[in-house]
Amino acid sequence: MTARRSLFSLAAILSASWALAADVIPDASQRFAKEDAAEVPEFRRHIVPLLGKLGCNGRACHGSFQGQGGFRLSLFGYDFKMDHEGLKERLDVDAPADSYALQKPTLIEPHEGGKRLDVGSWEYRMLLNWIKDGAKPYDAATHADFVQLHVEPQEIQFRNKGESAQLNVVVEWTDGTREDVTKLCRFQSNNEQVATIDRNGLVVSNDVGDTHVVVFFDNGVMPIPVLRPVTDLIGPKYPQVATPTKIDELVAHKLSKLGIVPSGICGDAEFLRRVSLDITGTLPTESEVREFIADGSPDKRSQKIDELLERPGYAAWWTTKLCDFTGNNDNVMNNIFFERDTPAKYWYNWIHARVANNTPYDKLVEGIVVANSREEGESFRDFTQAMATIYSGDQQQFAERSSMPFFWARQNVRQPTEKALAFAYSFMGVRIQCAECHKHPFDQWTQEDYNEFTKFFTRVQFSNRRDLDAYNALVKELGVEGRNGNDQRNQFNRLAREGKAVPLSEVFVAPLSSNNRRQTPNRNNRNNNNRTSIVTAKLLGDEVVNLSEVPDPRSALMDWLREQDNPYFAKAFVNRVWANYFNVGIVEPPDDLNLANPPSNAALLDWLAEEFIARGFDMKWLHREICNSAAYQRGWDPNETNRLDERNFSRAVPRRLPAEVAVDVLAQATLSDAKNAEMVHKLDGRAIARTTLRGGNNAFALDVFGTSTRESNCDCDRSMEASLLQTIYIRNDADLDRLLSSRDGWVQQIVAELNPRAAVRDDDNSRGSRELRELVRQYDLQETRLAELKQRQPDNPRIKQLEERQDQMKKQIDRLRKANAPNDPPATETADKPKFDAENLVTRAYLRTLSRYPNSEELTSASTFLNESKDLGTGLKDLMWALLNTKEFIVNH
Amino acid sequence: MRTSRTCDGVTRRDVVKVGVLGATGLTLSNMLRLESAASEQGQAILGQAKSAIFINLTGGPTHLDTFDPKPNAPDEYRGEFAPIATNVPGMEISEHLPKLAGCADKFAIVRGVSHTLAAHALGQEYVVSGNRPIPSLQFPSIGSVVCRELEAPKDLPPFVAVPRTNMAGGFLGVKYNPLNTVSSPTVGRSFAVRGISSSGNTVDDARRRAQLLGNLDVAFQGKESSSQLLEGLDKFGEQAYNLVTSDTARSAFDIGQESPAFSQAFGSTAFGGSCLLALRLVEAGTRFVTLTYGGWDTHNDNWNRLKTRLLPPFDEGLAALFNGLAERGLLDSTVVMVTGEFGRTPKINSRPPSPGRDHYPRCMFMLMAGGGIRGGQVVGESDDKATAPKNDAITPDDVAASLYRALGIDHTREYQTSSGRPIMIVRGGNPVSQLFS
Repeated sequence: MTARRSLFSLAAILSASWALAADVIPDASQRFAKEDAAEVPEFRRHIVPLLGKLGCNGRACHGSFQGQGGFRLSLFGYDFKMDHEGLKERLDVDAPADSYALQKPTLIEPHEGGKRLDVGSWEYRMLLNWIKDGAKPYDAATHADFVQLHVEPQEIQFRNKGESAQLNVVVEWTDGTREDVTKLCRFQSNNEQVATIDRNGLVVSNDVGDTHVVVFFDNGVMPIPVLRPVTDLIGPKYPQVATPTKIDELVAHKLSKLGIVPSGICGDAEFLRRVSLDITGTLPTESEVREFIADGSPDKRSQKIDELLERPGYAAWWTTKLCDFTGNNDNVMNNIFFERDTPAKYWYNWIHARVANNTPYDKLVEGIVVANSREEGESFRDFTQAMATIYSGDQQQFAERSSMPFFWARQNVRQPTEKALAFAYSFMGVRIQCAECHKHPFDQWTQEDYNEFTKFFTRVQFSNRRDLDAYNALVKELGVEGRNGNDQRNQFNRLAREGKAVPLSEVFVAPLSSNNRRQTPNRNNRNNNNRTSIVTAKLLGDEVVNLSEVPDPRSALMDWLREQDNPYFAKAFVNRVWANYFNVGIVEPPDDLNLANPPSNAALLDWLAEEFIARGFDMKWLHREICNSAAYQRGWDPNETNRLDERNFSRAVPRRLPAEVAVDVLAQATLSDAKNAEMVHKLDGRAIARTTLRGGNNAFALDVFGTSTRESNCDCDRSMEASLLQTIYIRNDADLDRLLSSRDGWVQQIVAELNPRAAVRDDDNSRGSRELRELVRQYDLQETRLAELKQRQPDNPRIKQLEERQDQMKKQIDRLRKANAPNDPPATETADKPKFDAENLVTRAYLRTLSRYPNSEELTSASTFLNESKDLGTGLKDLMWALLNTKEFIVNH
Repeated sequence: MRTSRTCDGVTRRDVVKVGVLGATGLTLSNMLRLESAASEQGQAILGQAKSAIFINLTGGPTHLDTFDPKPNAPDEYRGEFAPIATNVPGMEISEHLPKLAGCADKFAIVRGVSHTLAAHALGQEYVVSGNRPIPSLQFPSIGSVVCRELEAPKDLPPFVAVPRTNMAGGFLGVKYNPLNTVSSPTVGRSFAVRGISSSGNTVDDARRRAQLLGNLDVAFQGKESSSQLLEGLDKFGEQAYNLVTSDTARSAFDIGQESPAFSQAFGSTAFGGSCLLALRLVEAGTRFVTLTYGGWDTHNDNWNRLKTRLLPPFDEGLAALFNGLAERGLLDSTVVMVTGEFGRTPKINSRPPSPGRDHYPRCMFMLMAGGGIRGGQVVGESDDKATAPKNDAITPDDVAASLYRALGIDHTREYQTSSGRPIMIVRGGNPVSQLFS
């Protein structure tokens, strides 16, 4: 099917008229227009929205947490009790017009917030009538609740700048009443460059592009798409665009409305490099590129995708991403389980085993969400023994445990509220932080929702209290009682290394009753505990769960995540995977699914999520589906219609390689052929397979390229921006010198092949050079560690000592550098200058770095350079240096 | 933003969602001020400063316990510190800032600065750009604008962050992002940014390689303008070459070359070393240096943390910077701005075990010095409990506009975004004229 056909069906939807108009109560501005209007408004339905509309409950005014002028309203409304109480003090029911609440905003009395209201306006009258009637509060027991908003039109398509469209908003309540509340809503444009919206809901077209305007009323948030085509290539004028997959159909549908024509399909070499980096974080080898380009089979791209998904790089890279999303951070698991790094390593390995097996995503998450340290039926003794056996033996075996409990053991999720935030971020892609203190300004979440949701986590503990007697008995048995914490820990670790069971804290769910007792320490209330045996919690935006009926409240959460119509779970993951391939998510930022931040292509996100669920949360299916789409395989070269498009997937957007991938491919590109090929199948020492945040030898580079810090429940803990220091690193860091001069390197391989004697005598291999390189490496490593230490513990007495040692080393380096300086004349045209085929070497260098053949100009230019170099080693190093420093190398395109 | 963690851990991305908060941002007094400022336009004399140092106190420092003490406020507001006199009669600051009290003639305190964004990331976006964040666009940081307006010597980085920053080029592109030093220098010790430090490669090596690179880096040729990333990488390449082939930058970064007599005053802390580095960099010709000094998010244990950890290095380092700039004759050509993202609640909270103060954007302080700004004065005023500006509020926009004015940059100049939308450098503020009088 082509994109054009779907345009017609859309036109049909838009022409459908507003069928609900009949029984709708007209808007308040009409009803309260006349002076004799007698209607009594309701607090929740009319008064609170009016306060919002007038700006009274904004952060700058009475919505501030310290109030303003002694008067405080809940920020963005929704705390009806507090708002009513606050307002009530400023009302005079006997002489309504003398109420402070009317005299201030009309400036009859001085008001710091300025004039908000005119005497005699409909808003004024509405407030007045409410006061006259005794200013009745909202009563949840008798008053109707909010159901939903109906907004017309449901989509706005402008053609020209300055065109306008009026939104009409109708609210539906549980008692069946419907009221036009257009004049009582708050409105927002998500991109004023495309369209503006005024306080009455009038949308005005601005520049070309697409965005949403958002309507807020009570607990409703409704985004309305607005677009103005980029070109006039819409409707019948839109060209035929092949849509080989469902993804392409859905992408093209949106593009055809915008008049954006996608870029063409990229070449084979470009595809292979892009997909290898994206799926496996690894470059294709030289021979792989040659073979792929030469391969004539029509389905070679999809075959390659299948092949890449089976390589270890896929499992390693996606485990790293999942560790980002779940917050695997050794800095917050210090001293909780054997050594500092142990929990992070176990965490990584546990996820890795599942990604490699393609365990369904929901199963993987279940193993984290409902994790307990002990297996079902395992005693404390069995558990501690099992842990010691794993710790002293093959630590990979931890991955065979049914669950991974450390998500709940982190020091930064001790509080139930912190657990709720982390859970929502990791598995729902939702940020509920705002609702901790007030109604979420961009979503439906209220403070009550947040508190109710938090209750799922109150009983999840990480401590030694599940079986304190057994714990203490083991301490006693090991004879380490009374020693201080550090000492004891070292002793435990030593014993565990020998395979002996040692006491460990564990993740478990405390029973309901004991928890209740702990929450009500007042002994006199003991009898009450039995009475309050029903404890409930509420799923976000969903139903109430009776926690007294489930042994583990988290299992109720897990069941909910898994439901077919859960609005977050599948979408959050699908969207994050999409963002990995397209630079931006369908919802952007990818971890901020909220009603006011709608997807750029809702149909696409819906379809991917539905299908992902239908396929049993098959992660590889998702990667395969995305990578096989034409949308993914487009060229980066923009055309006139899609030059500015970065959110509708009409071209490949050049993006910098992620930190781990950048570090790995710099190494891979410079390694000898044999080692280079090994990297495709072995992960030893790879940054993408790093099990903890510690970067080791690559700490500095990973930091400079923005590896995730995994500290703040945000995907943006990873930085993808380019920086000057990154460029300086590839150009001039000692790391690069080492890679280019390494004895395992490609340059050395070639020099040795062509002239074994020259290789031995090569400057790079002189003992002085090697010694210097090693010294510089040590110095740089220590500097990075020193900087870390200074930031973490500025008062540590070791700093001074380390600094002195570094300064000594620096002096030695400077001395050696002086001694090694090329004071002897450059190598003359000696007889043993090897003969070499420059064009062949240049071609190989291109294939191993840029994964393509050089064009003829490049070939000539680089070959001439090689031939004119003072010696082959220097020439090849220069050539490799130049290729690594092209934009093409560090950018995935 | 990874410099220092704050309680909400929110980062810049949240800015994307802030638009709806903006509706009530413009108060009446703001509007009046905009009008009066507009009538003065054309008379404003632009300053002559050449460089700026921006000290970012991330986390949001308390104003009451530092530069806006209220000794007569009730107990639940005052806090445990007493004010002390400075070398300027009538100007008082906290007792834990004795060295700054000794050079108060060199800086102005701006009190009663006010805005409404109480989340760290949003407040930060605001103060480092001088523009209230909006959903659809990231405004360039002040440093990025300064580097676009004022040319720096080729062999120096125009914009340096010690050790790193949340300032970025925004819609101007990554090419106006700063160079992060990653680590902080220590007074008395040699310092280098990795990669800029001597690598053993000669200038001839670098030249030869750069020439080859120029011939080979052609895949995107002619299409760079379609991507800010590609544009940025080109610019970084050029800068990197100039930096590593000259000794100027290496020497400017190496605070170990400073005489002990001069550098001693900066103290032995990372902040002190960073202040000395900032001084050396602007002396050499770097246009904008930003220092990030975090840890001010004192919800808990406010006074203890202030007097033991936060204030002593700050007092020592900043006083040495002011005095050092004056001694070297750089104070007129260097404008210094000190700010956090907000103040802290005047009313003391009751968090166990030891109380502190929470986020409070409605009333905060900033410091300004150098570049024609008259030191030894207090500009603006807060009410008697430091809960709000006493008279007209000064906004972050106004202070940013003042900084631009000191640098001779017209803050009303318009830039175009990638899609051609015109945006003023500072959209909602005007220079605070009292600073310059």
